[in-house]
Amino acid sequence: MIITIPWIGFGIDLSLRIDHLSAFIAVAANIFGLLVALYCVPFLKGKRYAGQFYAYLFLSLIFINGAVLANNLIAMLFFWEGLLVTMFAMIFIGSKDAFRTAIKAFIIVGISDLCMMLGIILTGNLAHTFTMSSINLPLDGLGSAAYILLMIGAIAKGGSMPFHSWIPDAAIDAPLPFMAFMPAAIEKLMGIYFLARISLEMFQLTTSSWISPLLMTIGALTILLAVMMALIQKDFKKLLSYHAISQVGYMILGIGTAVPAGIIGGLFHMINNAMYKSCLFLTGGAVEKQTGTTDLNRLGGIAAKMPVTFICFIITAVSISGVPPFNGFFSKELVYDGALERGLIFYLAAVIGSFFTAASFLKLGHAAFIDKPREEHKDVKEVPFAMQLPMILIALGCVIFGVYNSLPIGLIQPMLGGHSLEGRSFAGFPSNMVLVVITLIVLAAALLNHLYGVRAKGSGLKAVDHIHYAPVLSGIYDRAEKKVFDPYNIGIYFVTWFSKALNWIDKAVDWIYETLTVKIAYFLTYYIRKAHTGNYAVYMAWSLAGLLVVIIYLVI
Amino acid sequence: MPPAGMMRKAAFWACLAMFTGQIVLVLMPNLSAFEPFFKVDLIVDELSKVVLFCVGLVSATSLLSGEYIIKDEYQKFNFMNLLLIALAGMNGVIMVKDVFSLYVFLEITAVASFILISLGRDMGGLEAAFKYLILSAIASVIMLSSISLLLLLSGDTSFAGINAAIMTSPHSHLIMFAMGLFVCGLFIKGGLMPFHGWLPYAYSAAPAPVSILLAGIVTKTAGIYSLIRIMTLVFAFNDPIKYVLLFVGAASIILGAFAAMGQSDFKRMLAYSSISQMGYIVIGLGCGTMLGIFGAVFHLLNHAVFKTLLFVNAAAVESQAGTRDMDKMSGLAEKMPITGVTSLIAVLSTAGIPPLSGFWSKFIIILALWLSGHYFYSVIAVIASVITLAYMLSMQRRVFWGKTGPAFAKVKEAGFLLVLPAVILAAITVVIGLIFPFVINMFIQLPDLIGG
Repeated sequence: MIITIPWIGFGIDLSLRIDHLSAFIAVAANIFGLLVALYCVPFLKGKRYAGQFYAYLFLSLIFINGAVLANNLIAMLFFWEGLLVTMFAMIFIGSKDAFRTAIKAFIIVGISDLCMMLGIILTGNLAHTFTMSSINLPLDGLGSAAYILLMIGAIAKGGSMPFHSWIPDAAIDAPLPFMAFMPAAIEKLMGIYFLARISLEMFQLTTSSWISPLLMTIGALTILLAVMMALIQKDFKKLLSYHAISQVGYMILGIGTAVPAGIIGGLFHMINNAMYKSCLFLTGGAVEKQTGTTDLNRLGGIAAKMPVTFICFIITAVSISGVPPFNGFFSKELVYDGALERGLIFYLAAVIGSFFTAASFLKLGHAAFIDKPREEHKDVKEVPFAMQLPMILIALGCVIFGVYNSLPIGLIQPMLGGHSLEGRSFAGFPSNMVLVVITLIVLAAALLNHLYGVRAKGSGLKAVDHIHYAPVLSGIYDRAEKKVFDPYNIGIYFVTWFSKALNWIDKAVDWIYETLTVKIAYFLTYYIRKAHTGNYAVYMAWSLAGLLVVIIYLVI
Repeated sequence: MPPAGMMRKAAFWACLAMFTGQIVLVLMPNLSAFEPFFKVDLIVDELSKVVLFCVGLVSATSLLSGEYIIKDEYQKFNFMNLLLIALAGMNGVIMVKDVFSLYVFLEITAVASFILISLGRDMGGLEAAFKYLILSAIASVIMLSSISLLLLLSGDTSFAGINAAIMTSPHSHLIMFAMGLFVCGLFIKGGLMPFHGWLPYAYSAAPAPVSILLAGIVTKTAGIYSLIRIMTLVFAFNDPIKYVLLFVGAASIILGAFAAMGQSDFKRMLAYSSISQMGYIVIGLGCGTMLGIFGAVFHLLNHAVFKTLLFVNAAAVESQAGTRDMDKMSGLAEKMPITGVTSLIAVLSTAGIPPLSGFWSKFIIILALWLSGHYFYSVIAVIASVITLAYMLSMQRRVFWGKTGPAFAKVKEAGFLLVLPAVILAAITVVIGLIFPFVINMFIQLPDLIGG
């Protein structure tokens, strides 16, 4: 169903479309908005930025709805960019030092949005229309350039590498409900929604084009690198944020496979991830609110004191690790299926990612909830009901989506269009048992690894230290912690150098204008003035000499 | 004893009436009612009208400023008489049709100028008058010899006769020789480089109303206007002459501009600036194309207006602040706001800043140079514009802007008689700049001046 309201002209209309994909995402986004808003009521009580936060939250919902439902590229761009502003604002109000992070986020997402803008202009030019439902372009030279630009915008929104470096910073500086809402849920929904749009509808992404391996590589790298970083984090929220980055890699990998299994897996993973990631952040927020800290070094043993939080945590953690029969398992199986169809290496990357995901969540849970209880937290109680309710609902959702996965998959499958499914249905238990077995082995291995680590180092927190301080890895980890690899920092360094060079050029130009020309002028005027002696005979001589020259020139 | 008191005042008003009458007559469309009165053969075409207008305007300004600045009653009377003689001379120069009469009227103007320059009876004025006398004598000798040569060649002194003779005469070298002589004589009168030696002294040392007259109109009529007339009506506009004009014009522009930059005497700087602007007119003439001549004439008109305005302001500053040394002055705009504003308008017009009139004339000249293929000269003209802006703004900054110096605390605005012409001239500059297209059509419609 399409509604079109004429807006600016030049093919720019306020055109809205409700089809399966956009309806699904819109509903999901709004549900998340509701749950987070509910969660915020006790969480933000007493914080000075509460009022502003609600304002930005609901403002974001306006933009999200607009962007998801928009059928016109320019209208969508308008809403998409609006999210930049609210994202900046929500990070900025978090703490006094949040300005830097807010700027970083703004610049990173802003630059990728600029690329998307270029892509939109190029697409509109190629297709001679801005209406998304009527665009269907092949991926030839210019078409693939447009696709790449749009893709950059989409995956940067989702938080994939290399546009990810603001998310861990925001995890510390921004208010927690922002983290639960935006990077966890909304950005994935928006980014992967747009990626799906451009891959399935607007461009003809097939398995034979070179973009598909590109997408899969980006996805695979994101999975691995981010989860390795997540492994060593000592802060609850930072760890979760790295996982958010890692999970979007699964989605990109899924869509990049360009086969039905992979695409459905990617989309299913999107909604699953939104659910369990936001719930994980909510539990983190619960811990933060009650204990006042998210530093894993200072947490421990609060499982008995906060049972509801703990149970929600367990459910979502096993979902994200891909344990049957929760929803993460099913979406990951579909992604594995698709990845295996395209290449063994992608499959291996995904599986190894799962291993580390499980390991890091075992560590997180152990360190935060099970470990030796601390003295300062002995009075910790459970959070208020208004905060528990969203967590419970989402955790239940994880269970339901896992067991009755025909429900979500039935919503997702029509997005592909009937022809590419060829009548198959991907609901129910995965068909490829070999994959299932491998998954279970990997999970068991992760558990064993964790137990070994605990035994070796004595606490849950240090369970992964044997990986952290492994010979080659420790060097890389050290540098990563110092943000040497951060693309944003590299970019800033380059820009600083460039502006210094420009400044030097500017000084040179100034010298020419202000020093050189003045000196020349003074030189000339001095000698001319000196030549005018005041003696009239000199002047007579000049006149007669001039006369002579003119006559000679004319006559001869 | 020259009459004083009421008689002199009557004389003043009579003069003023005559000058404004001249302006009005020029602007009136149809003069056929007056024809029976004038049996003398005169040229009154569009070019003459432009310069007649300038003459009337500048003479009126000079009269008003003289009334204000010259304090002695007898000196005022003498000044007005000399002014009338100079007026007669200039009008004659503008309107005659033959070479010898041109010479006679040039001499009349020159004599009146000598005495006017030395009116103040101070050392500077006398020295300046003497230099002008000597150089003008040389110019007269040169021109007289040239006229005799032309008489020899053609047996006639009228413009038409000489032109006809030149076209058909086989003695080309002699003709060129005569042309060169005459042109150089006019260069001396017009104050172009390197024939300019008298000009800085005359402009700066003469009493203020005389400077206004000189700068505004005498140099222009005697030198430049005659040059235009002669070149277009009498002499053939061939290439060597054009190159001479271009070169002399360019030299005047550049050297005048650079010399003006280092001056600390207000009026001397304006004198060098005049040399530079005169160079623009000559270089426009040197193009030889219709557009170039039009640019030259238009720049003549504009220069008369803004240079006179600048000299009026210089007169105001000199009479109020008591000095011409720019290094001693500062911040006079606070005390003399009208002078400051009109001076700024004149400065911008000299530098050729749109939308003032100076911009249009300079632009046309530069365009004409470029279109006729003299790229180097047009680049020089453009660069010199920048230098003009530089020294003009430097003057403006030194004299008018900034904080008022302690010595000038009691300075007031100049009297009504100086402010009125300043405002009128500034208004003319702005208006001509803004309604430029109408000015072309209405006022300067040059007949087809290039015969051969």
